[in-house]
Amino acid sequence: MKSIYKKEWIAMLLAGGQGSRLGCLTQDIAKPALSFGGKYRIIDFSLSNCVNSNIDTVGVLTQYKPSLLNSYIGIGSAWDLDNANGGLHVLPPFVGQEGGRWYKGTANAIYENIDFINFYNPKYVLIISGDHIYNMDYEAMLAYHKEKNADLTISVLEVPWEEASRFGIITANGEDQIIKFMEKPVQPDSNLASMGIYIFTWSVLRKALIEDEGKSESENDFGKNVLPMLLAQGKKLFTYRFQGYWQDVGTIESYYESNMELLKEQPCFDIIDSNRPIFSNGEILPPQYIRPKARINNCLVGNGCTILGEIKNSVVASGVYVGEGAKVEESILLPNAKIMNNAKVYKAIIGEYAKVGANCSIGNSGKSARQAEITVIEGNSILTEDSLNNEKKSCFLQFRCYLKDKKWRVKSWGK
Amino acid sequence: MGKIIGIISCNYLMKNPEGLTRDRPLAALPFGGRYRLLDFALSNMVNSGIRTVGMVTPYHYRPILDHIGAGKEWYLDRKTGGLFILPGATHGIYFKNNKFALRDITKNIEFLEKEKAEYVIISGCSNIFNIDYTNVLRNHEETKVDITLLYKELILNADEDPQGVILEIDAYGRVQKLESNQGKEGQGTKYFADVFILKRTFLLDIIKGHQNMENLDLLDILRENISQLKIGTYSIAGYFGRIYSKQTYFQRSMELLQPSVQNELFLGEHRVLTRIKDNPPTKYGPSNVIRDSLVSSGCIIKGCVSGSIIFRGVVVEAEASITNCIVLQKCVIKKGAMLENVIVDKYNIINPGTVIKGQEGDPLVIKKSRMV
Repeated sequence: MKSIYKKEWIAMLLAGGQGSRLGCLTQDIAKPALSFGGKYRIIDFSLSNCVNSNIDTVGVLTQYKPSLLNSYIGIGSAWDLDNANGGLHVLPPFVGQEGGRWYKGTANAIYENIDFINFYNPKYVLIISGDHIYNMDYEAMLAYHKEKNADLTISVLEVPWEEASRFGIITANGEDQIIKFMEKPVQPDSNLASMGIYIFTWSVLRKALIEDEGKSESENDFGKNVLPMLLAQGKKLFTYRFQGYWQDVGTIESYYESNMELLKEQPCFDIIDSNRPIFSNGEILPPQYIRPKARINNCLVGNGCTILGEIKNSVVASGVYVGEGAKVEESILLPNAKIMNNAKVYKAIIGEYAKVGANCSIGNSGKSARQAEITVIEGNSILTEDSLNNEKKSCFLQFRCYLKDKKWRVKSWGK
Repeated sequence: MGKIIGIISCNYLMKNPEGLTRDRPLAALPFGGRYRLLDFALSNMVNSGIRTVGMVTPYHYRPILDHIGAGKEWYLDRKTGGLFILPGATHGIYFKNNKFALRDITKNIEFLEKEKAEYVIISGCSNIFNIDYTNVLRNHEETKVDITLLYKELILNADEDPQGVILEIDAYGRVQKLESNQGKEGQGTKYFADVFILKRTFLLDIIKGHQNMENLDLLDILRENISQLKIGTYSIAGYFGRIYSKQTYFQRSMELLQPSVQNELFLGEHRVLTRIKDNPPTKYGPSNVIRDSLVSSGCIIKGCVSGSIIFRGVVVEAEASITNCIVLQKCVIKKGAMLENVIVDKYNIINPGTVIKGQEGDPLVIKKSRMV
């Protein structure tokens, strides 16, 4: 089956990741569905980049806990991707005549959807992931890919040398052609990190995916298997240097820091830039309701919030309630969190629909913001003064606490 | 509620607008930080399950279309039914006391003939309330009346809306008289809420029976035939705000700062739907003082704001101070400017150090996009 409209390019968005290092934040939702920056979910950035780059066909590959993600993206209408002759398609794993298979790796996920891509018969395929915070013009990258007549173009970012061993590191020659690719090298010989953004010429990708699938020892991963294979085959791989803010919010610390970045007077990443707006699929909520005794100091606040208490240096997502006498500092309140009267929250991430009961105290305010570690309260949990006292466990510092089966469990998520 | 369709009448004016409705129909008047007046009438219908709505528009209806588009945010971009624009008759000419002009409906009679629903609910768009019409329809069917008028029990003010109508009701809840509200100051009255419900075929009969009397208002026809018709009533519980002048616009806006009004209008089961703009969250600077205000998304607030309604995308620079004001979309209040009791219409830039004060109870209006 083929679409009668041949596409120049389409995007495949990998959104099946668990984000296991985010601990309880992604216990029930896929990482791309995690709330970010007061009103967004992480996938908004990639989807908005697609729309702002005039891509009208996006396949979203889902696997891990997809229900919130699915209902959030729907048919893509919030991003104007409910389009004729294309649009947004959610692509979960499926069964065939030989039975069903989970997506084994990033490359396998694309392999399983070769039919989908063939339907649109594009010349180029953009592969991105749904868990990065950035604002990028993919069209400029495509122009570069065409100019170089490349088989594959990888978007790269210069990272500090000391952090290079956390990334897929690319070594390129003077013409920006890739000569070496190392996944998380101990001794990096370059500081160009792959951003996980690829533009493939479809014919080359298709052949590579089929070949890689045939290798039983392969993990079917782009970084680990497909890229080294193409390099070994002497294909034309180029780097595309991205200038700007790009953040993989893979850990609690980086998630926290990149939210806090938005509070700066001149943030590295400007969500207020209206030339390339970030679209999102929010509920239609009333304006923020700020009561007479409220105090707001250096905060980002979403719609539908009711603020009676004091909030400072915090990112407050939509539908949040902060009660009278409550004090929230250096924290991230996710959508619909409730901080009841006189509760104190210090350097914490409060999950969606979680409720911090009256007079509860979360986080260790004895330490300075820099030194204190981040406390994470799982979504939907309900904290009361009693539940904190009964267990005689404080939920400070390096512990995350959450309520399950009505019992308190305090677990260290360590570093 | 597939058996009922809605008509919203937007083809009427406000008495004392002072520029607020210079460039826009009353229905498109921004209200409450991110809404426009018609959002309330439209959301009430949609939240009651109505998916076919005709909107009778006045002659300068660009702001209305700009706001509702194809009706996507109200789930009215349907294959069957959905949103219908019904251009009002006699462009540019308004008759006093006409809210439901017969000619507006007669000119759009195809809408009523084509949509095969059993009932029609007709609503004005200048009252602020949040209601589920499901119970109204049930009541209408149970009482077996020809027509049900919705009313709100309230105390009238001195300076009244000339278009207002009050109902005289007997012990069975039947309307005996429709009167003008003028001169009825202070009494506890049953104020007609500009909403009524009737059978579609009955409405078509009325129209056909008055073919050459197009300047009539539907209410006039009820008045004339009051002895032959069974006119029932339904009392609206909860908050009910009337907007018919600059002062009432200001008062209703400020009432939104009361927790009870906020809860009833915005935080109940039925949300007021409005156009989505995809603004970023609002950013508050390090040393601002903000209290007792409603603030929409996409604002940057660095100055001092109290007792005010701030619409989307407003910038309040440091050392600026806004007290008791309504600041509409995308205004910029520059450093050191001071506003009190002022309504600032869209796209205005208030220059540094400017001091503007309106009277308490009689706010000053700064008209759309002017440099002050």
